[in-house]
Amino acid sequence: MFENGHTQRIDVPRCHVNIAFNGSDKTRIIYMTVAISSKHFIMFGSSGSRVLNVINISYIQSRSKRVWVRKPLGSPMAKSKIFRITPKPVLPEDEKAEIKRLFDNYKNSMKSIRHYFFEQSLKQAESGEVAQMKHRLEDQEHERLMEENRLENEKTAMLREERLKIQAEKTQQNVLASLIKKEGEAKLHEIQIEDFLTKQMSTPFIQAENIEKAIEDALANPVNFNFALDLNGYVYRGKDTSIDTIPEEKRERLNSN
Amino acid sequence: MIIMASALPTFTKIGKVIRLNRHGCTNRPFYHIVVQKTKDNQDGPVIEQVGSFDAMPNNKNEKLVALNFERIQYWLSQGAKLSDPVAQLLGLSGFLPNHPRTIIQAWKNRREPPRERKIEAIKGIAPPLDNPKL
Repeated sequence: MFENGHTQRIDVPRCHVNIAFNGSDKTRIIYMTVAISSKHFIMFGSSGSRVLNVINISYIQSRSKRVWVRKPLGSPMAKSKIFRITPKPVLPEDEKAEIKRLFDNYKNSMKSIRHYFFEQSLKQAESGEVAQMKHRLEDQEHERLMEENRLENEKTAMLREERLKIQAEKTQQNVLASLIKKEGEAKLHEIQIEDFLTKQMSTPFIQAENIEKAIEDALANPVNFNFALDLNGYVYRGKDTSIDTIPEEKRERLNSN
Repeated sequence: MIIMASALPTFTKIGKVIRLNRHGCTNRPFYHIVVQKTKDNQDGPVIEQVGSFDAMPNNKNEKLVALNFERIQYWLSQGAKLSDPVAQLLGLSGFLPNHPRTIIQAWKNRREPPRERKIEAIKGIAPPLDNPKL
């Protein structure tokens, strides 16, 4: 039997199982850890230990032997195996061809059989009671939803009608108002044009008859645009006027109009 | 915190396979034909048992095989693979075409007698066993 506090280590493929035995009661197990078929990795049981990401673990106690997977990678080759040359199995060509033919045919038939089974399963699923009921329920649901949709559409259609009516009214009014405005503006524009034209007509244009008189007038009355400005703001007109000639009272003040 | 590779969840689809699970005792194998996930151990969790195969011939020199063809067909339609021995058994039963290995073994047996074994193979129809303890 096991001594106090002895830990029995049982190696299970991909999982370590620790079973500790209590002191006085030798057969009582204090903690036992998880075995196989964990979707996630090793879990070390007992109250204090940490359990990471454990999902879907089945708590089966496994008693099977430790499975030999492979020799450790660093270990040397066994002495009985160092100079071993394994005899290569030689098959004649026709045998190889026959084997290949057999396997090819087998694989071909297996592929088609699998496909056939799959199709059969689909057909069965379709024709089964569950599938039929499902179809019926789906159709009912579909009808119900379509009905609901129709009612909703009608409601929104009504609302839309009203909205559109109001909008139509508004737009009509807007259009009328704008037309009236435009008419008023057009009239105003005409009046303005009339004024402008009359103003233009009233300005003294030089016509063909007046041209000679206008030339004579221009020659007789030359206009001198030259002038000078003072810092105090007084104007001295004429090209050759000097400041001294004009007395203080008669000076012009430059007024910008 | 160090996260071990085996601590990360894998989302690849794990395929299912129909294969032999060894039960029975020492020197007395008895196989369950079983649907399992590929990554599970031979003695691990089983999805469904779909037959049995007794490797030891009985009094009448028969190796008894039980197969649930309906369920096997279902699992094959769901994409389960077959292990070689199971495929051979199904071929011999007539459910699937004969496996090439049966044919190859047959012509090898015809060509030369099999090698010396400690336990002699039973050929033809064996006489009834004398051991009263069995």
